[in-house]
Amino acid sequence: MTDQAIIRLAGITREYLMGGERIRALAGIDLEIGRNEYVAIMGPSGSGKSTMMNVLGCLDTPSSGQYWLNGHEVSRMADDDLARIRNREIGFVFQTFNLLPRASALSNVELPLVYAGTGARERRSRAEEALARVGLAERMHHRPNELSGGQRQRVAIARALVNRPSILLADEPTGNLDSATSVEIMRVFGELHAEGQTVVLVTHEPDIAEHAHRVVVLRDGRIDTDRRVEHPVGAASAVA
Amino acid sequence: MPTLRALLEGVTLAFDAMRGAKLRSALTVLGVVIGVSTVMVMASLVEGIKSQIFATVENASPQTFYVVRFFSSVPLNPDRLPAEVRIRKVLDERDVEAIRRADVIRHAGLWVQIPLRMEFRGERSQNLMVYGADNMLLEAQGGTLLRGRFFSTAELAAGTPVVVIETEVADRLFGRLDPMGEVIRIGGKSFTIIGIYQKPANIFQPPGAEDGGIVPARAAKENFRYDETNSLFITVLAERGISVAEAKDAAITALRVSRGIRPGDPNSFDVITQDQILDTIDSLTSAFFLVMIALSSVALLVGGIGVMAIMTVSVTDRTREIGVRKALGATRREILWQFLVEAGTLTGFGGLLGIGFGLAAGALLKTVLGLQSGPPLWSAVVAASASVGIGVVFGIIPATRAARMDPVEALRYE
Repeated sequence: MTDQAIIRLAGITREYLMGGERIRALAGIDLEIGRNEYVAIMGPSGSGKSTMMNVLGCLDTPSSGQYWLNGHEVSRMADDDLARIRNREIGFVFQTFNLLPRASALSNVELPLVYAGTGARERRSRAEEALARVGLAERMHHRPNELSGGQRQRVAIARALVNRPSILLADEPTGNLDSATSVEIMRVFGELHAEGQTVVLVTHEPDIAEHAHRVVVLRDGRIDTDRRVEHPVGAASAVA
Repeated sequence: MPTLRALLEGVTLAFDAMRGAKLRSALTVLGVVIGVSTVMVMASLVEGIKSQIFATVENASPQTFYVVRFFSSVPLNPDRLPAEVRIRKVLDERDVEAIRRADVIRHAGLWVQIPLRMEFRGERSQNLMVYGADNMLLEAQGGTLLRGRFFSTAELAAGTPVVVIETEVADRLFGRLDPMGEVIRIGGKSFTIIGIYQKPANIFQPPGAEDGGIVPARAAKENFRYDETNSLFITVLAERGISVAEAKDAAITALRVSRGIRPGDPNSFDVITQDQILDTIDSLTSAFFLVMIALSSVALLVGGIGVMAIMTVSVTDRTREIGVRKALGATRREILWQFLVEAGTLTGFGGLLGIGFGLAAGALLKTVLGLQSGPPLWSAVVAASASVGIGVVFGIIPATRAARMDPVEALRYE
């Protein structure tokens, strides 16, 4: 394992039993993702994309193979240890935002810090900082239903960032947004990557994937192609 | 884990959740409110009645104690007396004389209490307690002479059939007629009414029938059949300024000497003081009251089952939220804790409302029934902790279900 690899998958498989039938969602994945990479994982439905995202996010454990995340071997961890890893190492951004509807933007962003055991004052200042980072300093006390879709996804990104995770894991982050807002959200990801954040994007939309610097395509539970993107969309504006 | 802070956050979260599902939460809370108020009202009744009984017993002269053939908290069957009772001599005038001679004794009398029917011009009562006693009865047992007089020395000595009747009985038998001077039949024998008395206030009659009237002890013994174990007793009043304990010792010594009991042999009689009577009443009523409170706790149990049902719905409803929390790093324990605190907060809130209602209802009962004490403080404390406890206990199953959810499944839930 190289120092630079923040994610290392070796021979990862994941099988399910469905109606007595054994289904191989992942059929042996070997993959390394380095620090500050910006990777898109693509594939048609049924390719194992979602399972891949769940395994990468430590929401699910592989049937076999090994998974190192930032130096921890997480493939053999028990539930509560995985919860700790998710809390410290992973920032999730979901397609449906998954904000708590009755909590303000600020409370939503504070949530990972609550589970990290951070004190109330520090929690608040870090949540405010994260919201300011995504351009929502003015809307901290609004509830999700008082925010637009793009703003909700910004809150979700702030929540993902607030505990300074080693990877930002986004699952179809623009799936519920119009194209203008999508561009806006993808710009945020580009900026975060430019600042040194490792970003893993799971998507089935090729033009979204083109924002990444590397695209991994899955097919039938295996890596089909793994290529560099020559001119990522929005890379120039991110540097500027 | 900074538990207090987590608790406060949990409580805040719980109130948020309650606001989010108002009707559902209100129904849960209602069950607990009803349960808690029921228990508190029961406790008020129990305490009120108990203090009433105690006050009654204490109202009677504190200088009084009783000598009986055999002390038993329940009446003995006179036809099948146990051997330990049969070997004891029946109380008689010689015993009374012996006690009377002790110098710390103010008065001793061999009295009887016999359950008898009273009848006036076809109006007939249930069995009422008729006392064969003397003029000291009211002083010994409490109560007041309302009209007329007590017995003359001559009437006591001759056993003249005269009676001082209890005022409620007089009202029942005579209605608007004046009972004074009328002749009534007691246990089939004619007695002339010479006075009316009122028994001491007591809404809860200690074991035995209601008071009917008082006749001269000799008249009772000559006119009625009675059993010599349960009915016959010696009432003893201590000299003023002398403690009951001292008078009791003197009476016991006098009786032992008179009956020729050798030192070291046990007494062939029993002496009961009010403390013992209170103890007996206490032990008799406590069991009964415990049952009453246990029954009313069923209402609390029903509230608890409501909590379980509603928490189960709530957990299902918030599957997605649970998934999000788990994705953000909540451990099983933290999810479990969240839902337990929520259940406890919900029922604790219901408990507080219930205590409010319970206190109000208890105060109302106190006024309506004329009880001497309102709802006891302990019942509020018990009710409050019980309601939180119920939330936590009945919340365990749904909270465990929440804690065990698979984050992938939970996040996918629609």
